[in-house]
Amino acid sequence: MSVTKEMIAAYADSQLTGEELVRVEAAIAADPALAHEVEAHRALKGTLDAHYAPLLDQPVPSRLTEMLHPQPDTESAEIVSFAAARQKRGLAPVVRRWAPLAGPALAASLVLALWQPWQGGGIAPEGYAETQLASALDTQLVAEQGRDAQTRILLSFENSDGQFCRAFRGNDTGGIACRDDTGWKLERQFGLDGAQATEFRQAGSESDLMAAAQDMAVSGALDAEGEAVAKQQGWR
Amino acid sequence: MDETDRQHRFIHAKARNLTQGFEQQVLALLPRLRRFAIGLAGSAADGDDLCQMTLERALTRREQWQEGTRLDSWMYRIMRNILIDEKRAGARRSQTFVDADAGLSVGAEGAQEAHVELSNVDRAMQQLPPDQREAVLLVMVEGYAYKEAAEIVGCPVGTLNSRLVRGRDALIEILGAEA
Repeated sequence: MSVTKEMIAAYADSQLTGEELVRVEAAIAADPALAHEVEAHRALKGTLDAHYAPLLDQPVPSRLTEMLHPQPDTESAEIVSFAAARQKRGLAPVVRRWAPLAGPALAASLVLALWQPWQGGGIAPEGYAETQLASALDTQLVAEQGRDAQTRILLSFENSDGQFCRAFRGNDTGGIACRDDTGWKLERQFGLDGAQATEFRQAGSESDLMAAAQDMAVSGALDAEGEAVAKQQGWR
Repeated sequence: MDETDRQHRFIHAKARNLTQGFEQQVLALLPRLRRFAIGLAGSAADGDDLCQMTLERALTRREQWQEGTRLDSWMYRIMRNILIDEKRAGARRSQTFVDADAGLSVGAEGAQEAHVELSNVDRAMQQLPPDQREAVLLVMVEGYAYKEAAEIVGCPVGTLNSRLVRGRDALIEILGAEA
């Protein structure tokens, strides 16, 4: 019995087994035209792969990913695309560096003042991260930062202006800074509900911080490799 | 009753976990879903719209998905059904939205020559009847076995096989003639 076109295609797709496979293999071995057909099928597969595979690496538009993020006020609220970043970062207590300014609700101006005057050293322009914070933003990688780091980087991402931004937190405060020509511009600042500094602190209003990061991010958080590359390039 | 209460709470917690798992699993599938959508619809813009409609329908019907069965197959089935519905309703977005540049350069970055070749694939795919295009995408791009692809489409394996052969023969001819 002759071998059909369907069988040749199925052979090229490795879909045949048993007796059918043996039969088709024998037919192909005996007929160069069939072998040529199989080759054409495989070449087509290669062409299609080359065409469609890059689509998997494209960033998925945020309007799609956002549909899969439960509302923050629902019981199961979890910022999905940032889940990995949360996990990596851990929830270890940090040194209570910023504790003296802790309060249930810090006025934005007060939080802003927080970044400016410490450590004596360089004076950053208003609204920009001061030396110590800037240094943490410059150098710390989420994957590698020590558990006792005074400032913890929560995640890094790119904003719609193509700037690298990093969400960070200390004990009771946190924020988001984006790197521009001047330095790390503080885009958002939050007082976080960590005043009690329990040993294992769940994200409270830190979720506001993560949500803000998510709003600003063009796609997901940078992975460890992406962060390392960005750091190497000076976050520019 | 205490016992019932506890059970109820347990079920509630479990349902919540499943719900969360559902969204995360769909999120993980999203690049593939999007690729299939763009392949079916013929352009990134239409593909993303199709993807969005698919997510909407999947989220509202999530309880119809059987835990333990393949979520990707379920989502693909939803997607291709939506596309058929859309066409049937005469609401083919691609008529109004098709953007030649965006549509034809899907995934194309790099040398001019590569760009031309990739565009040809898009053009060739759009010349196929939808059922053949779908079969080619499911098997040759998404890597489904014939049986799985036939289940997604809802046709016998033999039918899928013959659509696939006709589709790929046409592609070989179109792309071969252009080469």
